[in-house]
Amino acid sequence: MPKLEVLNTVLATIQDIGRYGYRSLGVPVSGALDRSSAVQANVLVGNPPGAPLVESFGPIMLRALSDSIVAVTGALTRIAIDGRAVAEYRPLWLPKGSVLEVGPPILGQVIYVAVAGRISCDEVMGSCSTYTRGGFGGLGGRPLRPGDVIEASLGGQRLEDLWSSISTRYVPEEGRVAYRLRQGVVLRVTPGPHRGVLSDDDWGRLLSETYTVAPESDRMGFRLRGPPLESAKRLGRLPSFPVDRGFVQVPPAGTPIVLMADAQTTGGYAVVAVVVPPDTDLLAQCPPGTPVRFAELGVDEAEDVTAQYLSYLESPEVSEVGPGFSEYDAYV
Amino acid sequence: MTPRVAPLGGYAVYVELCREVSLECNRRVHALYYALSSRAGDLGVTEVVPAYSSLTIFYDPRRVRWREIARAVEELVRDAEVFTPPPPRSFMIPVVYGGEYGPDLERAASMRGLSVDEFVRIHTSRVYTCYMLGFTPGFLYLGDVDPRIAVPRLETPRERVPRGSVGIAGRQTGLYGIESPGGWRIIGRTPVVTFDPRRDPPIPIRPGDRVRFYEIGEDEYRELEGVWIEEVQ
Repeated sequence: MPKLEVLNTVLATIQDIGRYGYRSLGVPVSGALDRSSAVQANVLVGNPPGAPLVESFGPIMLRALSDSIVAVTGALTRIAIDGRAVAEYRPLWLPKGSVLEVGPPILGQVIYVAVAGRISCDEVMGSCSTYTRGGFGGLGGRPLRPGDVIEASLGGQRLEDLWSSISTRYVPEEGRVAYRLRQGVVLRVTPGPHRGVLSDDDWGRLLSETYTVAPESDRMGFRLRGPPLESAKRLGRLPSFPVDRGFVQVPPAGTPIVLMADAQTTGGYAVVAVVVPPDTDLLAQCPPGTPVRFAELGVDEAEDVTAQYLSYLESPEVSEVGPGFSEYDAYV
Repeated sequence: MTPRVAPLGGYAVYVELCREVSLECNRRVHALYYALSSRAGDLGVTEVVPAYSSLTIFYDPRRVRWREIARAVEELVRDAEVFTPPPPRSFMIPVVYGGEYGPDLERAASMRGLSVDEFVRIHTSRVYTCYMLGFTPGFLYLGDVDPRIAVPRLETPRERVPRGSVGIAGRQTGLYGIESPGGWRIIGRTPVVTFDPRRDPPIPIRPGDRVRFYEIGEDEYRELEGVWIEEVQ
C-alpha cells in the first residue's frame, strides 16, 4: 500500500475537485485551486480525475514508507528522487525509503502531488477537500505538517501491475499550465450582476489596464493592484447575495478581488465581472506581482469554454511516450 | 414584478427578485429556491443558492444554456402556486446572554437606552425567520429584530468570534456556526451545536425555518455544551 511521510512543507493541504451541494448552508466549495493541473496529476497515476491529492504552495519533501507511485504537476519546478533529477508530469516510481524533493516553483505557484490509490482523508459532505477556516476535510481540517502520513489504498491492485499500465503516460509541454503562463495571463470575463454600476470609463479601464496580483491573496480570494474603479465605490455594501469562485468583487477601496476556491458563499460587495472557470485555474498559478489583464467574452462563448473545460476535468487527455522519448525533453 | 436575470461566466445565472430586504421578498426567494431545486435534475441545474432577495443558479452548459434557465425562472415566477415554500420547521436555541458570552450586550443596551434585562427580553420575545445561511458554514441570518434593539455592526470586526455566538447587526440577528472573524455585536452564546461538518446535512436549519432564542444560566450552559440542536415538534 503506497505510504508517504511528510518531511517538510511550506503550506500544503489535501484537496479534490470540490465540495458541491452545500452552498445553501454556507459551506464553500473549496477544492484544488488549479483544477486542470490537479486532474492531470491524478490521471498520470491512474486515479479518477477528481480524486484527493496534495496541493502545495512552495517546496515539499516526502519520504516513501513503502513503494509508491506519484506524479507532480502544476507550477514549473525541479524535482528529484534521492537527489537525482526526475521529470514533472510523469508517473514516478518511489521505492520504499526514497525521498521525493519538490523544489520551489520557478513559474507558477501551486504544485500538485498525486499518489496512486485512494488516499485516506476526512471525507465530509462528500469531499476530502481541506477547508482550513472551517477546520474540516483533508487531514484533520488543517495543512499538512512534518510527520503526517499519507496512505493510499489500491483496492487489491498490485503496484507493479498499475505501474506497467501507466508508466509511459505524460503531459506534453502545450498541455501544462507553465506553457499558458508564458503566453501572459488574460482572464476572460463576462459582465457581472453589478456591471451596470460601473461607468463605461471604468468598465473600459477594467478591460484595458494591467493589474498585478497582491501579496494578500490566498485560497479565498486573489486581490489585485491597479487603478481603482471609482464608480464602484459609490455602491458600498449591498444585501448579501450568493457569490462563487471567479466572481470579481469591488470593495470600497475600488480595486478588484477575484474570489477563489475557498470563497465565502455569499458576499455584499458589487460583482462587476465573472471570470470563466478555466481562467481561474490560470490565476491560481499567479504569485504576487504577476501582471494580469481582463478581456470580455460573450456569454455564448463563455458557455462553450465552460462546457469544454468541464469535459476536460472529467476526462483529461494524457499522452503516451513513444520510442525516442527523452526524459530530458519532459524535464525542460 | 419581473425578476432581473443575468448570465454569469457561462455557468451561473443570477436572479434578483427585488431590491429591498423584506420577509415577503425573502419568502418568494425561498419558494423559487425550493421550486428550482426540486426540478434541478430536469433543468440541468447543478446547485441553487438562495440569499436575501436574490439567488444564484449553477448549471452545466453541456446540458442547458442560460436562456432556457431564464425562461424556466420566468415561468416559475409567473406561476403563483410555486410561491408556497415548504412549511417552516421550528428551532429553540438556548443562550447565555452577556458577560464573556456576550461581550457587546451592555454597550448595545446602553446604546438603545435599555437595561440589559429589557434588551434580552426583547431579543427572546420574537420568533425569527431564517433569511439565509452564508458567509461561513452554518452562519444563520435571522430577522427581523425589534427596532428597539437594532444596533449597528462594530466599527472594527473581531479577529475571532467563538462558535455559537449570537450577534446583532441592524435589524438582523445572527448565529456563528463556526469560529470565524466577525463584525456583529455579540450579545450571547449558545452551548448547543448547530453546525457539525460530519453530519449530513451539517445543519438542520434551512432557509425559511423559524428560530426562537431563550435565556439560560451558566449551569445550564455547561449541561447543554456540545448537544446537537433538535427541531421542536
